[in-house]
Amino acid sequence: MKISLILGLIACFSIACAEQETLVLVDNLNIRETHSQFFKSLQDRGYSLTFKLADDANLVLSKYGEYLYKNLIVFSPSVVEFGGQLDTEGITKFIDDGGNVLMAGNSVAGDVYREIVSECGFEMDEESAAVIDHFNYDALDEGDHTRIVVSPKNLINAPTIVGTQNTQPLLFEGTGLILDKDNSLVMPILTADSTAYSYNPKSLVKEYPHAVGRKTVLIAALQARNNARIIFSGSLFFFSDEAFNSPVAKVHGDKTKASLSGNKALAVHLSEWAFGERGQLRVRRVHHHRQGDKQSSNTYTITDTVVYKIEIEELKNGKWQPFEANDVQLEFVRIDPFIRTTLKKKPNGVYEGIFKVPDVWGVYQFKVDYDRIGYTRLYHSTQVSVRPLQHTQYERFIPSAYPYYVSAFSMMVGVFLFSFVFLYYKEETPKSKSE
Amino acid sequence: MPTTAETKHSNGRNKGIFNNTTGFSTLITVTVLSLAWLAGFASRLFAVIRFESIIHEFDPWFNYRSTAYMVQHGFYNFLNWFDERAWYPLGRIVGGTVYPGLMITSGTIHWILHTLNIPIHIRDICVFLAPIFSGLTAIATYLLTSELWSRGAGLFAACFIAIVPGYSSRSVAGSYDNEGIAIFALQFTYYLWLKSIKSGSIFWSICTALSYFYMVSAWGGYVFIINLIPLHVFVLLIMGRFSQRLFVSYTVFYIIGLLLSMQIPFVGFQPIRTSEHMAASGVFALLMAVGALKYLHSLNPKGQWKQLLILGGLVAAGTVFLAVVLLTYMGVIAPWSGRFYSLWDTGYAKIHIPIIASVSEHQPTTWSSFFFDLHVLVCTFPVGLWYCIKNINDERVFVALYALSAVYFAGVMVRLMLTLTPVVCVLAGIAFSILLDLVLKEDEMQTAPVETEDSKNLYDKAGKLKKRTPEPVPAADSGLGMNVRSGTLIAFMILLMLFSVHCTWATSNAYSSPSIVLASYGNDGSRKILDDFREAYGWLSQNTAEDARIMSWWDYGYQIAGMGNRTTLVDNNTWNNSHIALVGKAMASNESAAYDIMTMLDVDYVLVIFGGAIGYSGDDINKFIWMVRIAEGEHPKEIHEADYFTERGEYRVDSEASKTMLNCLMYKLSYYRYDSGGSPAGYDRTRGALPGHRGFQLTYLEEAYTTEHWLVRIYRVKKPDEFNRPRLPLAKRTIPTSNNLSKKPAYDLGPMTSKRRKGLLKNKPTLVKGKKMTKLE
Repeated sequence: MKISLILGLIACFSIACAEQETLVLVDNLNIRETHSQFFKSLQDRGYSLTFKLADDANLVLSKYGEYLYKNLIVFSPSVVEFGGQLDTEGITKFIDDGGNVLMAGNSVAGDVYREIVSECGFEMDEESAAVIDHFNYDALDEGDHTRIVVSPKNLINAPTIVGTQNTQPLLFEGTGLILDKDNSLVMPILTADSTAYSYNPKSLVKEYPHAVGRKTVLIAALQARNNARIIFSGSLFFFSDEAFNSPVAKVHGDKTKASLSGNKALAVHLSEWAFGERGQLRVRRVHHHRQGDKQSSNTYTITDTVVYKIEIEELKNGKWQPFEANDVQLEFVRIDPFIRTTLKKKPNGVYEGIFKVPDVWGVYQFKVDYDRIGYTRLYHSTQVSVRPLQHTQYERFIPSAYPYYVSAFSMMVGVFLFSFVFLYYKEETPKSKSE
Repeated sequence: MPTTAETKHSNGRNKGIFNNTTGFSTLITVTVLSLAWLAGFASRLFAVIRFESIIHEFDPWFNYRSTAYMVQHGFYNFLNWFDERAWYPLGRIVGGTVYPGLMITSGTIHWILHTLNIPIHIRDICVFLAPIFSGLTAIATYLLTSELWSRGAGLFAACFIAIVPGYSSRSVAGSYDNEGIAIFALQFTYYLWLKSIKSGSIFWSICTALSYFYMVSAWGGYVFIINLIPLHVFVLLIMGRFSQRLFVSYTVFYIIGLLLSMQIPFVGFQPIRTSEHMAASGVFALLMAVGALKYLHSLNPKGQWKQLLILGGLVAAGTVFLAVVLLTYMGVIAPWSGRFYSLWDTGYAKIHIPIIASVSEHQPTTWSSFFFDLHVLVCTFPVGLWYCIKNINDERVFVALYALSAVYFAGVMVRLMLTLTPVVCVLAGIAFSILLDLVLKEDEMQTAPVETEDSKNLYDKAGKLKKRTPEPVPAADSGLGMNVRSGTLIAFMILLMLFSVHCTWATSNAYSSPSIVLASYGNDGSRKILDDFREAYGWLSQNTAEDARIMSWWDYGYQIAGMGNRTTLVDNNTWNNSHIALVGKAMASNESAAYDIMTMLDVDYVLVIFGGAIGYSGDDINKFIWMVRIAEGEHPKEIHEADYFTERGEYRVDSEASKTMLNCLMYKLSYYRYDSGGSPAGYDRTRGALPGHRGFQLTYLEEAYTTEHWLVRIYRVKKPDEFNRPRLPLAKRTIPTSNNLSKKPAYDLGPMTSKRRKGLLKNKPTLVKGKKMTKLE
């Protein structure tokens, strides 16, 4: 008994540790130093980082069907071909199996990057192209106007992903990303200003750039349908110590100045979101029953009043805690939603809806589909059948039928009386005739 | 059945000889009827002997499933049964949408047998119910015909109905359908009606109403009764044959029958709210008016009553008719439903209700099927009809009307051949009886004098022999000589023999296939069983989730529910046209449009029937054009029938087929990965063509199961979350990349090389030995 308990505890610990396993792929181990602040923040939060060169011959993500890592960080723009067993397909499979990926590139990034990015539904601009902004570059820029200053206003409005306190301007140097319009799952975390474009800074602009103005996305994120999260930054520089520590001074425009860039706060927030520290929701319990009953039932009768309760939890600081929101909706669906109602918040993360089942029988589903930017998709559906009244459930005596009751009973009485009259009435007339 | 023919023969003769001995004729009757029962029962067992004791076809599977439910859960739970596995997500109230007579009948038999401690499975009762009821039908037909003509004619009719293919087509063992018991109820009701109109007694009228109630509970064809009997009454009124007997029998029957029929939940208020039933109430009102006028007439027999009576009758008829028309316009009475309307206007269903026209048994009858189903009877029944009209009385008016209306309906729909068959048997029985009477009576009249002469010869002298010569003269007067008569007799006996041979052959070859198990015969006569349907349904029941939803064309709905025990979207109870049209639209659309419909309907699996590999012609591609038509009826903007034909208006599947056809879901699901069917591989043996679009991939579905002979193909519909990432296909990318997906090519070279492969980095700093690096670039 005790041994099994201990074994169980060990198993729990090992799982907890495994969840934090992170593989970092780098061009050269030097990056460990140049981006030390970012890695340190990760290590402080309990991630165990494994640094590997991207061309390491022993690269493996999984062994015996089990993934060795929960998260993957790819900071190796110059990779042409990954070493070992790793390739684009391996990474996409990792994502499809629920792994989180944080990738950063720059203008030298090759086709492998482009492939991975396309597999996630967006695109990275051509090799050696960089985001150029002649109006919003930093004072420390080297003349190409590629070290640009981006206002935190250009961030996506999603506190869960980017945090709430982004006031400092951000430094960015790297390639632009292009988003597919039809793609609803990819989010532009950070976009460039309207004066920016993405092109090779060393050559003349001959063709129309692929990304121009606000369409130039600097950092994009994807939450796949299995809730795997991918963050892709066009700039590796964005995560570097240099960007974290340097002051910002815009040369043109409003000449924004700041003693320290906002890169660090944003980078940390993004990594927190990407590796599932924030914005994780789960359904703890669902209960529905007829009002007045205690027992749950899979069958309701039309026009029943139904109580539906769902308990939602959010992962906060590594613990599942009640989730607070006031926009959780319930749908009662049979092909189309017949009822759509906002659930009332009750204590302990319980949301409750009381409604009357429609007067239409069929097979329905209770559907809670809570899909908010930054949160994992919360989807729960329960199938119940709504049946018509049973033959005993109809009203027995209805007022409009009283005339018929009266006629039926009066007829019975009449027949009864008539039979007496018929049987015992003696006709007098024949006698008189015979007489 | 040679035995039956012979017994008929002997009976005809015996009737003459033992005319007075009622005991003997009763024995004959009982013997013949029980032999007819036995022959009818035995000839319906081909399916059981060749295959197994199994429920056939489509509708019987639902009847069996609901009977089993009723036996298990009791009658009231059956009445309230809400079947959430059918018509997902609409569901079906089974108790209120079914004629429960069949289930109650077999449930009662099951209950009685189990009370007697005879443990028989409900399936066996269901399988053998129709053959057993065929015997009861024979008895009812005997009674009806005896009421009409004579007992001899009745025995003929009973023997005919016992084996005639037109009836056995719907009542072989395993064909557990409403018609199996309904024909008995039909004949019995008609018998009781004739009895009541003959006697004018309330007792028989009430019996008629009760039998009618059983018929209402058993089959939607009860509408035939409730229109034919009023028609009979109406024609009798026109013929001036009004009588107290008619008045009593019809009024009692109508009121009690009406009240009883409204007790069936499925019928409900229809008898007073729909046009199909209005003839009965109209005739009821008319009969009342005529009765009142007659009564007034009886009070004062003088005066110009005759004109008044005719005028009053006409006015009453006109008033009733106008009242019905007015009520229909006001919406109190529902107009003719499409199914009935299509009986009058045969082209109506084809234009307006494709779902009715699509059913094979709703097609117009071909001439040959009259002969196939009735054989010699179809030629002889006009004789019986002629005799009935010639010696007309109240009952024979009825049978004439029955015959005429049934002939019309049988001409409109193949299915209604079933209502024609009994009356044809009755009239043919009469015809044969008359013939035998004619032929054999003469014989006896002739033999009787000969016998007397022979006996007299013992006593009388030779001089008396001269008296013989005038004796045959009366026979010669009747126009038939001895040779002619015996020739006729022999000819008709041969005809009857051929009839019974044909009946056996037709029942055995055409109507005894369970259609869920197919049999094919090799060149050497060996039999090969194709059990693909049950293989597929078995797979569904074993390998899919309990609540998996299967989309298929409606034909297979009952079978999937009955054998696979899974939820279906549409089934053979075609009550919701728009839901069927939605499924038809999914089948007729391209894959991505179909996927939207399928996710909307929560479909988990799609099942299609594909007969190309074995040349099975009843598969989904051949039915497909009906799916398109039905879908077009509801979604005229998205689906166009013309798109599925070639430019020359041909329906083909080869390379000349239209693009829409080649890309629709049904086509893809049928021909996906198909490489069987002989040479060249992938040849479609049913259509005799090589499919025009081959080697394609499916995006939204994946093949889950295909049966041994490719007959049933099941596909799994991928869930939306299986499309995890919104991948950008190569064609949509604006930035060109060198190749689609970099995959390690070295997997073939062996595990060691592939695992230990070095990657490649651009501008990788290389270490040069011997030099000291001061700074890493």
